[in-house]
Amino acid sequence: MNDIPSAPPVPCDYLDGTTTRRRRVVLRVEDGHAVVEGEDIARRDPLSRVRVSERMGAAPRLVSFPDGAFCEVRDHAALDALLGATGFRESFVVRIQARWSWVAGALAACVAVVAAAYVFVLPWGAEIAAAHIPPSAMAKLSEQTLEALEGRFFRPSKLPQDRRTVLARRFAGMVTPDGDQVPHELLFRSSPAIGANALALPSGTIIVTDELVALASSDDEILAVLCHELGHVQRRHGVRKALQSTAVGLVTTWYLGDLSSLAAAIPAALLDARYSREMESEADAYGARMLRANGLSPTLLATMLERLEGNRKPDASPTAKDENDDDEGVGGYLRSHPATEERIRALRRPAD
Amino acid sequence: MADAPPLDAASLPATFPPIQSPPAQEPLRFTGSGSEYFRIWIVNLALTYLTLGIYSPWAKVRRMQYLYRNTLLAGSGFDYHGKPIAILKGRAIGVGMILLYQGLTIVSPAAAGIVGLAIGLVMPWLLLRSLAFRLTNTSWRGLRFRFEGTAGGAYRVFLLWPFLASITLGLLAPAAHHAMKQWQHSESAFGRTRFAFAASTGAFYRVWLMTAGLAVGVPVLVGAVALVATIIGWADADLVQGMSNGGIFLLVMIAIGGAYLGLLSAMPFFLARMQNLVWNRTSLGPHRFESRMHFGKTLHITFTNMFLTIVTLGLYRPFAVIRMARYRIEAMTLVPGESLDHFVGRQAADVEAFGEEVSEFFDIDIAL
Repeated sequence: MNDIPSAPPVPCDYLDGTTTRRRRVVLRVEDGHAVVEGEDIARRDPLSRVRVSERMGAAPRLVSFPDGAFCEVRDHAALDALLGATGFRESFVVRIQARWSWVAGALAACVAVVAAAYVFVLPWGAEIAAAHIPPSAMAKLSEQTLEALEGRFFRPSKLPQDRRTVLARRFAGMVTPDGDQVPHELLFRSSPAIGANALALPSGTIIVTDELVALASSDDEILAVLCHELGHVQRRHGVRKALQSTAVGLVTTWYLGDLSSLAAAIPAALLDARYSREMESEADAYGARMLRANGLSPTLLATMLERLEGNRKPDASPTAKDENDDDEGVGGYLRSHPATEERIRALRRPAD
Repeated sequence: MADAPPLDAASLPATFPPIQSPPAQEPLRFTGSGSEYFRIWIVNLALTYLTLGIYSPWAKVRRMQYLYRNTLLAGSGFDYHGKPIAILKGRAIGVGMILLYQGLTIVSPAAAGIVGLAIGLVMPWLLLRSLAFRLTNTSWRGLRFRFEGTAGGAYRVFLLWPFLASITLGLLAPAAHHAMKQWQHSESAFGRTRFAFAASTGAFYRVWLMTAGLAVGVPVLVGAVALVATIIGWADADLVQGMSNGGIFLLVMIAIGGAYLGLLSAMPFFLARMQNLVWNRTSLGPHRFESRMHFGKTLHITFTNMFLTIVTLGLYRPFAVIRMARYRIEAMTLVPGESLDHFVGRQAADVEAFGEEVSEFFDIDIAL
């Protein structure tokens, strides 16, 4: 071969890195060297010491030399021809960025990773973190929650003191399925606003409404609900749920960035719904095991769920953590009767 | 090859643009496109996930370079020179600090308090490093920007002024904001040429007050309209029956909606007015700047970006970034006082990425 350049020279600006003076030059390749020629300048550098910036849309590309000088190239077609003649190959990332099929693959990978993080990593992380939260912090959290509920939804219980004592004694006498101690405290409250319900706070405080006591046909049925609530306490559901919603909220706020917290709250609330259902099943399983351990039947809990389902108040407060259907916080339309039916069926299934 | 004869103008290819004397105005141009940025963003995000985050500095450098290089002044692009390894180091230290703090909150809340306080105390210094890193790694026509602010200045604007603003219940917040911008802009330089900043404190108070007026005024107006509408609704005899509860509920919802609308429109207002104020009062040697952002247009872009980002489950985000960047950049014009070919640079020391990345980790960003 001779030294005739294999691609036409590329017109560009030359900047020396010390002033903003632009020199009009042409860039070409000759004998394995990059040659720059134009206004007051002539330089020749081995190709191995020259760097070419990535193609970034319409942006000028930079052909840089070791001393900080560079050529700013706007004629992309001419530069591509020149680079092609030198056997230059764009980096792997640049090549996949240019292809929509690879971009679609990247999108699928991102969705898969985010979904996996949400389904597996988040609950796992929350469980580990929840185990490390000091009891004092949980007590504080529960105290604040109770205080917020006390005036708005709860009135003092109208149940006779001895009825309360009997229930509390019977529950205290029950053994936990794993034989461990789960510290708890039983509170009775009247709540026309919430209706028949029971809820567990992270500290182990379990609140039972008079309405629930009235709804049950036997004390065993009430104990069944209490066992279920103790499952929430033992599995630290309250804290885990709070941690998970906080994490989801933080990520969505960060992602949406300049958007308001309102916009971030919507996806956070929607994503939050899934966990509740799993936690209810977990608490059901715990409750069922505890009932069996004390010689009672898990169907008591199933019966109670049916009663609660039938008794559901249509305008029950969405702010209170609802016992028999936690999807209410998301809005009535997502209220999942099939989920409750599934839970009842699971409880009626004979034990293995 | 030294013996190659320099080409004269006549021998240059015909496609070469003619050399012009500096025009009176040099509007900034932005050539980025949403679909290109989307592809860069999603591919680099996937690589970041698949490497458990280690790739993220490379992704960031690529995103920054895309935005900088597609910003053109007088036909030449800006450039970003941040080194991924330096950024990775900064992020590692940032993560370490967070883990240390979080770990201590479990083991010993008292020690965590001390560490938290220490982090707060070094924050102004981190922000200073962050500013320096960003400017030192920004160039135009091969010349680097610089930041010459001192630690003393950083503690004054990032600690003393915010403290004064908080003990006066925010009355001094606009003055604190002014002090920060004053410091930030007048300590910046391009090559050997310093920036200067001449906005008055009063002008900052005006923008802040108008923003507050918008944030409060819109909900009040919406609330008043809703109230009137409800009263009219009640007056309608057919609707009275059983409607009063629903009417009050609706009124509350409208009032909350109005409050959000007020806040949402106050943000773009502040953004547009502040960019105009700050850049119209900034000069670089003999050159000055003009910024002409319009509130209505900014509001429109903000709202449509927000809407489209939500309905596309976030996929629109890179397009939204490009749209807003284009508007903000193309609202700017440089008014040259002389030829733009005369800037001269000087050797800049390498500035570690530590400050920028760490402060980013704590979600503190200094806009503009």
